[in-house]
Amino acid sequence: MPKLAGVIAGAGLVLAPAAAPVWAHHAFAAEFDAKKPIRLQGMVTKMEWINPHAWIHLDVKRPDGTVEKWMIEGGTPNTLLRRGFTKNSVLPGTVIVVDGYQAKDGSLKGNGRDLTFPDGRKLFLGSSGTGAPKDGRDPAEAKR
Amino acid sequence: MRKPFGCARNAIATAALGAVLSLAVQPAAGQAPAYKAPRGAEGKPDLNGIWQALGTAHWDIEGHAARAGAVVALGAAGAVPAGPGVVEGGQIPYQPWAAEKRKENLRNWLAADPEIKCYMPGVPRATYMPFPFQIVQTPKHVLMTYEFAGASRVIHMDRPDFESPIDTWMGHSRGRWEGETLVVDVTSFNGQTWFDRAGNFHSDALRVVERYSALSRDALRYEATIEDPKVFTRPWRMSMPLYRRLEKNAQLMEFKCVEFVEELIYGHLRKQPGKGPGGLR
Amino acid sequence: MSHRFLASLGVLAAVSLAPAPVAGQTPAAKSKKTAAAKTWTPPRTPWGQPDLQGIWDFATITPMERPKELEGKDVLTAEEASEFEQRTLVQRNPDRRDGGSQADVGRAYNQFWWDYGSKVIGTKRTSLVVDPPDGRIPPLAPEARQRSEARAAVARLPAAGPEDRNLWERCILGGNAGPPMTPGAYNNNVQLFQAPGYVVILNEMINDARIVPLDGRPHLAPDIRQWRGDSRGRWEDNTLVVDTTNFTNQTNFRGAGRNLHVVERFTRAGADTLLYEFTIDDPMTWTRPWSAAFPMTKTPGPIYEYACHEGNYGMFNILTGARADDKAAEEAAKKGTR
Repeated sequence: MPKLAGVIAGAGLVLAPAAAPVWAHHAFAAEFDAKKPIRLQGMVTKMEWINPHAWIHLDVKRPDGTVEKWMIEGGTPNTLLRRGFTKNSVLPGTVIVVDGYQAKDGSLKGNGRDLTFPDGRKLFLGSSGTGAPKDGRDPAEAKR
Repeated sequence: MRKPFGCARNAIATAALGAVLSLAVQPAAGQAPAYKAPRGAEGKPDLNGIWQALGTAHWDIEGHAARAGAVVALGAAGAVPAGPGVVEGGQIPYQPWAAEKRKENLRNWLAADPEIKCYMPGVPRATYMPFPFQIVQTPKHVLMTYEFAGASRVIHMDRPDFESPIDTWMGHSRGRWEGETLVVDVTSFNGQTWFDRAGNFHSDALRVVERYSALSRDALRYEATIEDPKVFTRPWRMSMPLYRRLEKNAQLMEFKCVEFVEELIYGHLRKQPGKGPGGLR
Repeated sequence: MSHRFLASLGVLAAVSLAPAPVAGQTPAAKSKKTAAAKTWTPPRTPWGQPDLQGIWDFATITPMERPKELEGKDVLTAEEASEFEQRTLVQRNPDRRDGGSQADVGRAYNQFWWDYGSKVIGTKRTSLVVDPPDGRIPPLAPEARQRSEARAAVARLPAAGPEDRNLWERCILGGNAGPPMTPGAYNNNVQLFQAPGYVVILNEMINDARIVPLDGRPHLAPDIRQWRGDSRGRWEDNTLVVDTTNFTNQTNFRGAGRNLHVVERFTRAGADTLLYEFTIDDPMTWTRPWSAAFPMTKTPGPIYEYACHEGNYGMFNILTGARADDKAAEEAAKKGTR
């Protein structure tokens, strides 16, 4: 154990993980501008439960009273559905805070890097419903 | 106890629907089928196979004469063939605002029809697209997978209380057997699909009750009852045969179609607009 | 078509000649044979075939390839596995905000959206690759390496059009669905259906129903290529073997091309476990065939709809972002030192 711990600590062992974070990284790096961070508070008008990225539509009131219509990109909603969330989990009128980055083309779109309620609670935390262990049990792997 | 033959198929869910249909429906050939499909592995009628509709419902589910197409350069290949229609009673009972909306859809067909962008066709349109689909029947689930856009849906058998958490393109399907008939109740649509290429549409309140039963070894009778109180003045029904694909080694081919519409949807965003095709090289 | 048949015989031969395996068994099962002591009889369908049906989850944090740091180490101990899991989850945690803004953008969104699993596979093997025995994918053949580098070069530039992006960003094929299936960051869900003469593999990503006929019919003609190839199945004892060919030349499974040949094996290893193995054979791409294996765990499901293309704002944004990058580069060039 000490041997492996040393190896891991030394090597920073996060293995180029299985493909998906790479997908997200490439796509998001292509869509959003790291030099344009945004922080918005707004009212949800609609949530599109589409894959692989959900989109939350937000009305953001500016200090001068104008309302900007933003679209915020999230992850796959199916992960949320598996945990018991539904289309009624984020109803129009819900106020949320978005911490993220704006689209490269300057439009009112951003990625929802961190989505919270105004009190700081994460948006879709809790409610783990499925009970399916993700532990790849294979007691008889070599059996044919 | 279920009656084995056609009478059970005509059991109608609501009195209102019953009143409508008893006025609108003429005795159909399939009403008391002489044919009983062989039993599948779990003792139910075996509807496994590759099926396809004929006719012109995909163009226009109402009766229509032949007409010119929307793209001049396609000539006869893009023109709309005539069809007697598959809507029982002839006309779809639109609310007045919806009848106008339908005309607007038809005028804007190229821009507005979700099929053109290769979006999933929804139900019942998926059934009568000019592409085959395959039924794979198991006791707890019946899978219907459609060649067009690779759309699929899983019919959850005998789970009437199983609700969908969201609205989808292909809806949420719950099935059960009524004698010889597979009855499928489809709800939770997102309202973004159409019924055909003629602008016939619905809202997210759509509910479809489908009935599949064997007409013969190689044909099914398909009926779909449509309810949408936001759009229609009453429920209405369509019906048509579905034919088994009898070729040796018949199989669904791939028609992802996304690659055929990228130019249409994203072409203006190319570095050099006007260049670029999709498809395989 | 006959050359494909011979190629598949070649694959079987190669697999059976690889170090220590027995024909039809996973190579590198050597030290795992203790597990074989536990035999389990799968339930059967009414027509007598092993029942593989159900909804299966194949998320795992075991990597595809053995990390270089673990060279020579086939298997982790229970303690090591637990530590590895904890460290991976910490390092991978997308709620981290350190590392600068580029890293922050790349981490994309909150932890609650991700579903890559929290555990290594049950055998605690250090890679999903089981052959070659070092747990690493063989090197690419020179031509394939060039092709791969060319593709990577294009991917680094602002996209000139949608064809410059990969198949999952275009919503054509799911990244983890293959074939072959590979664990990914989310939607690691698949449902199997069986009816006489068919098995259907319905991957959640991207709603793809792969219909596998079992009647021994030949593959499609070689000039008919499909994004997900063309699959044919047969039973070998309790294992479903699925053979897939006829891929396109835009198929980009880890650098593969149109000659990709995938042989998958599905074996019900327990009430809640489906063992999945695949062998990749593409002599134009890799210097030798290679194989990977991982278990799938039964999950209540259901498989949810995956409307990808219907809502692909991402592609729109990638392209407008690319045009914005082009414009910025042009303006920089104009103002640039001259």
